[in-house]
Amino acid sequence: MSPTLIGIIGIIIMVIIFMSRMPVAYVMAMVGYIGFSIMISGKGGLNLLSRNIYDVFSSYGLTTIPLFVLMGQLAFNSGISHRLYNTGYKWLGSIRGGLAMATVSACTAFGAVCGSSPATAATMATVGLPEMKRYNYADQLATGSVASGGGLGMIMPPSVVLIVYGILTEQSIGALFVAGIFPAILVTILFIISIYIKCSLAPEQGPPGEKFPLKEKIKSFLGMGETLAVFILVMGGLFIGLFTPTEAAAVGAFGVLFVSIIRRQLTWEAFVNALYETLGTSCMVMMLIAGAVVFGKFLAVTRIPFDIATWVGGFDLPPFIIMAIIVFIYFIGGCFMDALAFVTLTVPIFFPVVMALGYDPIWFGIIIVMVTEMGVITPPVGINVYVVFGVARRVIGEVPLESIFKGIIPFLLAVIAGVIILMIFPQIILLLPNLMY
Amino acid sequence: MFWKTIDWILEKLKIIGAACLVGMTFLTCADVVGRLFLYPIFGSVEIVAFMATLSVAMALPYTHKIRGHVGVEILVRLLSVRTQAIIDICTGILSLCLFGIVTWRMTKYAHTMHKAGELSMNLELPEYVVIYITAFCLFIFILIILQDILNNIKKLKEK
Repeated sequence: MSPTLIGIIGIIIMVIIFMSRMPVAYVMAMVGYIGFSIMISGKGGLNLLSRNIYDVFSSYGLTTIPLFVLMGQLAFNSGISHRLYNTGYKWLGSIRGGLAMATVSACTAFGAVCGSSPATAATMATVGLPEMKRYNYADQLATGSVASGGGLGMIMPPSVVLIVYGILTEQSIGALFVAGIFPAILVTILFIISIYIKCSLAPEQGPPGEKFPLKEKIKSFLGMGETLAVFILVMGGLFIGLFTPTEAAAVGAFGVLFVSIIRRQLTWEAFVNALYETLGTSCMVMMLIAGAVVFGKFLAVTRIPFDIATWVGGFDLPPFIIMAIIVFIYFIGGCFMDALAFVTLTVPIFFPVVMALGYDPIWFGIIIVMVTEMGVITPPVGINVYVVFGVARRVIGEVPLESIFKGIIPFLLAVIAGVIILMIFPQIILLLPNLMY
Repeated sequence: MFWKTIDWILEKLKIIGAACLVGMTFLTCADVVGRLFLYPIFGSVEIVAFMATLSVAMALPYTHKIRGHVGVEILVRLLSVRTQAIIDICTGILSLCLFGIVTWRMTKYAHTMHKAGELSMNLELPEYVVIYITAFCLFIFILIILQDILNNIKKLKEK
């Protein structure tokens, strides 16, 4: 049997086992181990399995993950989200659909200290939904804006998916982080535009709220102070080369902890909860990387990624068409699988193809994160939709899932528009990383 | 009694893992501050990497127990509870075999490192100790997988 055929059989078996809800990380490690043992030797497979798992666990570069996750969890468990929402509310609340606009802006700001999409959605849903209910916002717009805004947490650095992409493709995490800033701002603006259009067409969706004097509006900026300070410290430190990503993450986590303690907004219980949540999430991410590394070694010996790159390179198609096909695959994959799991699984396959087509690896990283981000709000998986559904039931009463899914449509169109803009104007992504190096 | 002891160990591992997390954060920050004053902490990178290894390894049983790993649920959710339990038993056995092998090889790896007298580069710490602890955490992890399988078998019998 040819190595390519063994590789293809391995991938098919892996996809079949995925459907059994066995953890993706375990399946990748298992198929990778068995495949590698068949291709090389039983002993080689055994060594690969234990050594690679230990190497991933003990890698200093990967310590960035638990530390950034901790920073996000601390921010999640402290009162930062309330103050961010308050700032957006004071500035935008008085215009039609303004509270939904304030919600997505606060999501972007919260994403600057939290790298997880569901955590951002859960936090902002708790804060934003009761306010929007108070001002008679339609459930569709209210829940749709929170679920979609939560996805911005994944694009706005620090982002766990970007860290994992950086590690798997050996790209600078600092460069990936700064590259994510403008796209996150772009998507936020597009979200605001889509809310504006929606509320212009159906004013009952988002009636205007209270108006605040300019003095109070300016004062509300103080509420953003600590988030801005931590973000500037972390990103600025990375940008000028003062910190390594691990150090930036530790300083960020410490910064959020410090602010929360000073403001007396982090209880001991919430702190312990943040630590345990961080442990669970970090372990999940590290296991995914370990699984992807083992699976990647198997793929490498089958030479499938290189064969695909050569095969695709032989097509008489313009590179952007091939790129569009790859992006479409990520979109579909993201709908059925967790974004992180899908990225870890597919990057070893598609990355060589994209490089052979001559695209920039940093640009590709941001594009796939944006595309898979759509998966957090689209059925059938749509994790953010389920998170918002759960939070809504607790804070404003039951909102049907169909309503939330309908509510995300304008935002989905906005993300699609964002991806197209970024594909046409890659400079938006590459401007900051190019300044960095 | 046996499973209560395992759960107790799982809780303790979780607490030590969380402590390692706090330790990593403070040590890295102290190193950054020390570096600003030209007094970096020697070997901090090694200690942080060891603490990170321990925190992830110690979180393994806990993460499995709380079903913290990502899986594709869409198809299985459509099946009956009984069929779901059967599928979970099968995947549990596969996981048990996989991590049984990982535990065995990790212990062997620690033993090889121990025999070779390998020490860390800067502080000359015995890395094999960390590998042995990782192997122990993996052992508790496979017991938690086993517990999961037994619970599913029980569920199946009750139906």
